[in-house]
Amino acid sequence: MKSTSQEYRELQHSIGMTVTLISFGMMFASLFLGYFLVRFNSPVWPPVEIAQLPKLLPLLSTVVIGLSSLTYYWFEMKKRSSKWLVLTLVLGLLFLGLQWSLWAKMKEVGILVSHGMVPSMVYAFSWLHAGHIVLGLFFLSWLLLRKMDQDLWVKNVGKFWHFLGIIWLMMYLMLFVQ
Amino acid sequence: MAFVEQHIHDAPTSFWSKYIVSYDHKVIGKQFLWFGIFWLLVGGLMALLIRWTLAYPGVPFPVIGNLLFPHTDGVVPPDTYAMLFTMHGTIMIFFAITPILIGAFGNFCIPLMIGARDMIFPTLNMLSFWFSMASGVLLLASLCLPLGAAAGGWTSYPTLSTNIGQPGLGQTLWLLSLFLFGVSSTMGAVNYITTVITLRAPGMGYFKMPLTIWGLWLTAILNAIFVPVLGAGLLLLTFDRVFGTTFFLAGAAATSGKGDPVLFQHVFWIFGHPEVYILILPAWGIVSDLLSFFARKPAFGYKMTALSLSAITVLSTVVYGHHMYTTQMSPLMTQSFMTLTMLISIPSAIFFANWLGTLWKGSIRFHSPMLFSLGVVFVFGLGGLTGLYLASTSIDLYLHDTYFVVGHFHYTMAASVLLGGFAGTYFWFPKMFGRMMNEKLAKWHFWCTMIPLNGIFTGMMVVGYGGMHRRLYNPFIYEFLQKLVPINIFITVCAVLMGAAQFIFIYNFVHTIFFKKEVAPANPWEVGTLEWEIPSPAPHYNFKDIPHVKCGPHELGNPNLKNGRDFQYQTEEWVKA
Amino acid sequence: MNLQFSERLLGLAIKTQEMSLWERMQPPEDISSSGHLIHWLFNYTTYVNLFWFALVCIGLFGFSYLYSNKRHKIPFYTHGNEKKHLLVTALIGLGVFLSVDMVITKISTRDMKETFWKFPGDNEDVVRIQVLAQQWAWNFRYAGADGEFNTGDDVVQLNSMVVPVGKKVMIQMTAKDVIHAFYLPNARIKADAIPGRFSKLWFDANKVGKYDIACAEMCGNHHYMMKAQLTVLSQEDFDRWVKESQQIAIATNDTEDINLRWGWQWGSK
Repeated sequence: MKSTSQEYRELQHSIGMTVTLISFGMMFASLFLGYFLVRFNSPVWPPVEIAQLPKLLPLLSTVVIGLSSLTYYWFEMKKRSSKWLVLTLVLGLLFLGLQWSLWAKMKEVGILVSHGMVPSMVYAFSWLHAGHIVLGLFFLSWLLLRKMDQDLWVKNVGKFWHFLGIIWLMMYLMLFVQ
Repeated sequence: MAFVEQHIHDAPTSFWSKYIVSYDHKVIGKQFLWFGIFWLLVGGLMALLIRWTLAYPGVPFPVIGNLLFPHTDGVVPPDTYAMLFTMHGTIMIFFAITPILIGAFGNFCIPLMIGARDMIFPTLNMLSFWFSMASGVLLLASLCLPLGAAAGGWTSYPTLSTNIGQPGLGQTLWLLSLFLFGVSSTMGAVNYITTVITLRAPGMGYFKMPLTIWGLWLTAILNAIFVPVLGAGLLLLTFDRVFGTTFFLAGAAATSGKGDPVLFQHVFWIFGHPEVYILILPAWGIVSDLLSFFARKPAFGYKMTALSLSAITVLSTVVYGHHMYTTQMSPLMTQSFMTLTMLISIPSAIFFANWLGTLWKGSIRFHSPMLFSLGVVFVFGLGGLTGLYLASTSIDLYLHDTYFVVGHFHYTMAASVLLGGFAGTYFWFPKMFGRMMNEKLAKWHFWCTMIPLNGIFTGMMVVGYGGMHRRLYNPFIYEFLQKLVPINIFITVCAVLMGAAQFIFIYNFVHTIFFKKEVAPANPWEVGTLEWEIPSPAPHYNFKDIPHVKCGPHELGNPNLKNGRDFQYQTEEWVKA
Repeated sequence: MNLQFSERLLGLAIKTQEMSLWERMQPPEDISSSGHLIHWLFNYTTYVNLFWFALVCIGLFGFSYLYSNKRHKIPFYTHGNEKKHLLVTALIGLGVFLSVDMVITKISTRDMKETFWKFPGDNEDVVRIQVLAQQWAWNFRYAGADGEFNTGDDVVQLNSMVVPVGKKVMIQMTAKDVIHAFYLPNARIKADAIPGRFSKLWFDANKVGKYDIACAEMCGNHHYMMKAQLTVLSQEDFDRWVKESQQIAIATNDTEDINLRWGWQWGSK
């Protein structure tokens, strides 16, 4: 049973995290605004650069990050068993690894940032998302090491982690799916 | 929602925990105040360098000219001039106004006025300050680079702000500095918003909050939503400069695949317009309260004022295109932006009328906080009305990028916010530092600031109407501007006078904090908001017992009060009139 | 003190010292057919603003005087939220909006639609000029004897634009490097010249003479020196100038020079 003050603290932190996610969301929304402006002012869509993008790696990334949200959800539900949290962390690291491979593959295929708006967007959006994943991994590690049992932190780190998954899904649909 | 109070921590003991890494919102507020005042002086010096160059082109800057510009015999060179107006704008907006109005007053006033013991997230609060400091260090560092600091204007439009126009590290450091500052602002915004929502004392509904808190809360909401948009723009521009992306590169620079410089302008002004409202909302809130306090009667139309401020907050998000009329967006977009911009007049006029209604049939005391508040009414009235010229797409064809714009935004941003900031400083000084500032010096400060201030910015609008465009190192190579020389000199003389007057404030401020012995009473202004029920300066825990709010913040002048006072504390049962 | 500059300053002051403050405050001479629209609206806005600002000042100074603590000891306790108060406030808000904002919006829209955005068609008899802004100069291109832009016989000028009096001039412009803005103070017009896209302006000059052209968007350290000259000639003088320039262009243009081919097809931009 939770005391009123504990419940209240959770509410306060929940509001704080929601505001924080609105802020981060606005940053990504600005990027997406740029994307829509480019897309709808483009005479031809998808441009040739998108057609040349690797298809498997981003799909794998999407699956991995989706799974990681699932494992986190199980972590929350299954009495805070740490193995699900560890799995989430591992999947998060795998996601970063896949992103790294994606960038390497794109460079190999000859898609460079300097080639224009679309490659610039693909790289920049995924860099920024990856940067936030790193932040998310820090939070997950910290949760693992210190505060696994506190509802307050589990719920809010969860919000952040799921948010990053949703942002990636949107990026995937915008940039990698024709 | 049941209210749960924060517990009382032990007082910090070491110098380090008391003044440097403090979690106390009051200390953090004061840190922001000193930080902001330092940068205000730096930005002010830059303004004087600019004004000197405009009034006396080719003439060495007096006294410190040779020290600053040894290679040109004390004369400001053109590339430094570009850096000066860029940095002046950047510093005043991000490093002076934001820390003072939002960092200092936000931090100091919010918990006290809503009856809380601290912000909801004290660690985040402390981090917010240190991120600002880091940001400031980066900006200072950029001034010392061999190719100089950023020089593309505070708006840093590409492609001038890309590697084409600004080679060198200065512009990149500027971008990083501002990004860090944005992180600091966002942290603060999260704190302010959550604190106001969840830590208001029992009985303090939203419509019993002082209007200062309304102003600060609405500012925080705009901050949380729109600073990240700037962040995105800054990051993308940084990527263009450092990693070779082509978001904003077009024309000669774009070797393949075009970017769009105007995209940056959209992103920038989506942030930029709410930003100017971010800067003014706290001042509006403060003035709304102070007019009531010093006229000894309730704020006229309190609820309408709060709702008007909220309406302006919402409207400010959809008008940004009026900064971009000359980029020739589609006629539909252009017209829409004009119409939406015009709508802002309605709530503005309403709360302005409420301000005058507060004064109407009051019993006005002209202490320095009140003088400065009245000053805000004057300068914002003037400045706000001049915005109407610029909102018109046809008039803007002539006035865009002229000194008319500079006069307009200085009246609304600089004059109003500065005067509002001074009003707040004189008013809350006893609660912050436990002493009263010298009232006589404060009045001298007011008049010596107010009069030249109007000279400067009216002068700017005059030369702007005369056709003088912006960011000119030497305007007088143009025939059509040569008759404006004496007016430019007049503006500079006023600027020097106004700058000199600030030393009255600095002296008063420093002397009172460090050398004045007489302690201020708990409630020197005799008003009823929660912070005045506790001793001056406020103890580290703020409230020994969390107050229970029973009436509004402006219960002054009620004829039925029986206890010899002409005001009620917010914790007293409301006496019906 | 730098003698050269202080002498120049003194010279400027002397040259213009005969002017009264009022004369100094006036915008540069309006030589356009459409500038008066801007002035009408500016003046209207000024009168109405003065009215409302006067009310603010009467309130501000008047109330400060009448209701100072010394003169008015007992404040009138009201929260200003009764129906009559709300009505007055709402009326003021509406009054400002209707008298200033609505009028400006209507008139601005009309002026833009009927004048400033009414560009001459591709077939009209107007003078067509392509403008390329660069750090820190203005390039002007006329079509030359063949009537086509970006061909070897174009008349290309540096920092000098020549137009006939009383005839519409249509400008298409872009920039080479950074954003600039073409500013013609005597015609009250301005438009950004943006790399990667085209902007357009039209104007007509109704007085012969020489006038300044300036850059009105920060474009670097020498933004202030980006001055060009507009020369308005009588129709005969202009025709003579055109003929002479075209002959000079044909004779002296280096047709192999790719830097000279910065122009573009006029088309519909």
